[in-house]
Amino acid sequence: MAPEEEIINLIRSELQGNALEYNAPRPRRVSVHVRPGAHREAILTLLQSLEFTMISTITGIDLEEAVELNYHFWCGKAEVTIRTRVPKPALEIETITDIVLGAALYEREVFDLLGVKFLGHPDLERLILPESWPKGQYPLRKDWTPNLSDKFRSLRKKPVRARTTQNKTNGGSVVNVVLGPQHPALHEPERFLFKLDGEVVVDVEPRLGYAHRGIEKAAEQLMFFQDVHLVGRVCGICNVAHTTCFCQAVESVGDIEVPPRARYLRTIVHELNRIHSHLLLLGITGLEVGFESLFQYLWRDREIVLDLMEKLTGNRVMAEFNTIGGVRRDLPVSLANETKKGMSTLKDRMNFYGKVFNDDPTFGLRTKEIGILKLPEASKLSVVGPVARASGVEVDVRKHDPYAAYDEIPFDEIIYKEGDSWARLMVRLDEVAESIDIITYAVDNLPSGPYRVRVPRRMPEGEALSRIEAPRGELVHYVKSNGTAYPERVKIRSPTLANIISFRQMIRGCYIADIPAVLVSLDPCFSCTDRMAFIDVNSGQRWVWSMNDIKAKSRLEEP
Amino acid sequence: MNFDTSFFLRILVFPGFLFLLFLALFCDWFERKIMARMQNRMGPSYTGPLGILQPLADYIKLLTKEDITPAHAERPLFVLTPIVSFSLFMLSIFYFPIDGANVFSNGGFEGDLLFVLALVTFAHFTLFLSGWSSSNPYSGIGAVRILTQFIGYDIPLMILAVAPALIAGSLSLAKIASTQIVPYALLIPWVFVPFMLVLQAELEEDPFDIPNAETEIVAGYGTEFSGRKFAFISLSKDVQIVFGAVLTVCLFFGGPYGPIMFGSPNIWFIIWFILKVLVVIVILEFVEAVCARLRIDHIVRANWRFMAPIAVLSFALTVLYSPLGRSLMEVFR
Repeated sequence: MAPEEEIINLIRSELQGNALEYNAPRPRRVSVHVRPGAHREAILTLLQSLEFTMISTITGIDLEEAVELNYHFWCGKAEVTIRTRVPKPALEIETITDIVLGAALYEREVFDLLGVKFLGHPDLERLILPESWPKGQYPLRKDWTPNLSDKFRSLRKKPVRARTTQNKTNGGSVVNVVLGPQHPALHEPERFLFKLDGEVVVDVEPRLGYAHRGIEKAAEQLMFFQDVHLVGRVCGICNVAHTTCFCQAVESVGDIEVPPRARYLRTIVHELNRIHSHLLLLGITGLEVGFESLFQYLWRDREIVLDLMEKLTGNRVMAEFNTIGGVRRDLPVSLANETKKGMSTLKDRMNFYGKVFNDDPTFGLRTKEIGILKLPEASKLSVVGPVARASGVEVDVRKHDPYAAYDEIPFDEIIYKEGDSWARLMVRLDEVAESIDIITYAVDNLPSGPYRVRVPRRMPEGEALSRIEAPRGELVHYVKSNGTAYPERVKIRSPTLANIISFRQMIRGCYIADIPAVLVSLDPCFSCTDRMAFIDVNSGQRWVWSMNDIKAKSRLEEP
Repeated sequence: MNFDTSFFLRILVFPGFLFLLFLALFCDWFERKIMARMQNRMGPSYTGPLGILQPLADYIKLLTKEDITPAHAERPLFVLTPIVSFSLFMLSIFYFPIDGANVFSNGGFEGDLLFVLALVTFAHFTLFLSGWSSSNPYSGIGAVRILTQFIGYDIPLMILAVAPALIAGSLSLAKIASTQIVPYALLIPWVFVPFMLVLQAELEEDPFDIPNAETEIVAGYGTEFSGRKFAFISLSKDVQIVFGAVLTVCLFFGGPYGPIMFGSPNIWFIIWFILKVLVVIVILEFVEAVCARLRIDHIVRANWRFMAPIAVLSFALTVLYSPLGRSLMEVFR
């Protein structure tokens, strides 16, 4: 029996009449519509019967008379969507944070942007919008438009100071140190409040939201083909990942068959993008631990990839290569040879860096046994990507939920068991080597034929969820179409939102000097994480991701 | 001592203040350039030939910048410490035999080695005060790190610095320099190697640049300084590096005396002196280029577990070895 059917049968037998509708529209995608209130039962069934279940995200969609909630779970073999409707105007539903720890932030996101109240949530506060945001304004509702400038003018006038939880000092030795929004160790604006006892970190309070641009709302105002370029702007570094993911979701909605050559070309650019992102991160790690030579060397070798990107796509970083129905440029033979040459040079260099990362004593002192996240915590917190793989969780989307050409290309999933900063860096280092092999294989076995198909602007009614392995981990795009050229809803869950929660777990008990080294090993990308809110934020706007939230997530460590 | 014009010229121009100031700027440029080359970069290249005027341009720019004193800072200390630390480092170099004699145009006095080391310890303390008086958390952490690091490393530095004096039979810098027929770096390498490591820590160079680790605590004790005060803080860092190099040259490389000397010895003194300073800087920078920054607990542990015992051991070895060492040197005379 196919895994999709198995899951459907499982839920059907458990829920009986509470499940209204089932379908498995595509391979490895299952959606189950349940009666309001039965969602907990359905999720519990998944958690208890399937051994590997982590939450991807929660998507809220405003339907005139109700808000539809889609709980997306990755269950090892398929992505299961539990769908339920919360009727207006009460908009209340039971929380699932007590059974799925990782849902705390996603529920707050829905609360903030759509006004759904989750009963029993330990700390249902604003996550994304500023604290001074007017009450009752929910930007992702359909009747809300951004032309409410009068209401928001007041926002700009009175900046709200960041809420700082009072020091629970033990004899006055704990000092608050704010790191960010501007700090040499942070390459994007974000704020961390560290509580330090001497040189030791007692606790940390991160605050998101300094790079909000409201891309999800903006995506609803643009046509599908325009949105491709919009989602590329979610994050400059992993722009190829975002566009690939979005295009795949739209292609699933429109039942568009992408030519094989395009699938391979997508894979090549996606892997080039991964190499560029990983080398960038590894270089920054060198900078953070005070190893400047490593940083300079890695970034010099990263130029190989950027040059290839430029020749293939026309841009060094913002590739703009993917489009709905294929890719926008072809790979000529001369460039194919050049790519192979560049890859073999890079491979030699990676062997050298492998030696440095393995053998350099000062580097080892700074990364080994530091910022530890063990397997049980990692899977409970639903972390993704290299962070999860460094703790031994097998979550490579390319392997378990293949897309583009990954089902035809041989490659290994890199798994480390240590769970420390060093393992997280080594996963990336080995992945670069793996990506080099993937690119070489893809260039060698590039199928002939067209590299794009023309698609209509209008997409048929439908919905699709696309997952890909971005450089930082699992990236989820959910696209719903209402039969026009404009999407009804675009939902983006970037990998950093899933990963940042584990930072508190890692950093407590470490030294100040470890903060940048551990933070960078997460490869945090805040512009990805902060894409959802809609407001012209001036620097005075701040909001809080409170302790309770993280506590809810970290409950597992208390005995 | 005669207080005539030449005396003041020596102090203010050559080989005193101006000469050392430009030497510090030159060393700053040299350091940046070779560091850049080691890291596959260009380094300074626009201002002047090969960018040699870059450090000077930087300081001139800093002098024109707005000078801010934070409202919560301890004002007198905050204003004074940059100047004081700069002067102390400068003054301590004055006692070295730069052109055969020291800046005060005499052969120094017995024990000026210890006096110089004491001056530098005081200078480090003013750096701590500068961070402490800024009342900024980053500065505070940087200041505490300075104290932790320097209190630890001053002890092995003093022990190791006195070891050459044992062989020379004098605590005078001029005598230590002039008695080296064979550089002590070759004669007593077991003192020289740990000395270089400890010096790296004293100069806050990688892997010991912990008090001003920029990705952790911004600029450490210097975070709140701007404009002129910052210019003096970073100038005193430059002079500090020159001091470290000069100390090494004097104790282990035979000071200004070189194998080739004809004609006027004064010119050769300067040439050899600068060359040796640059060699020491190359060594320091090389170590910096191949190391990651350590953590404060690492270096405290490394200090008390390794450096301090090694310093004592190599000192003891030198005590036993000094008669043999002296007779070895006689062979080369």
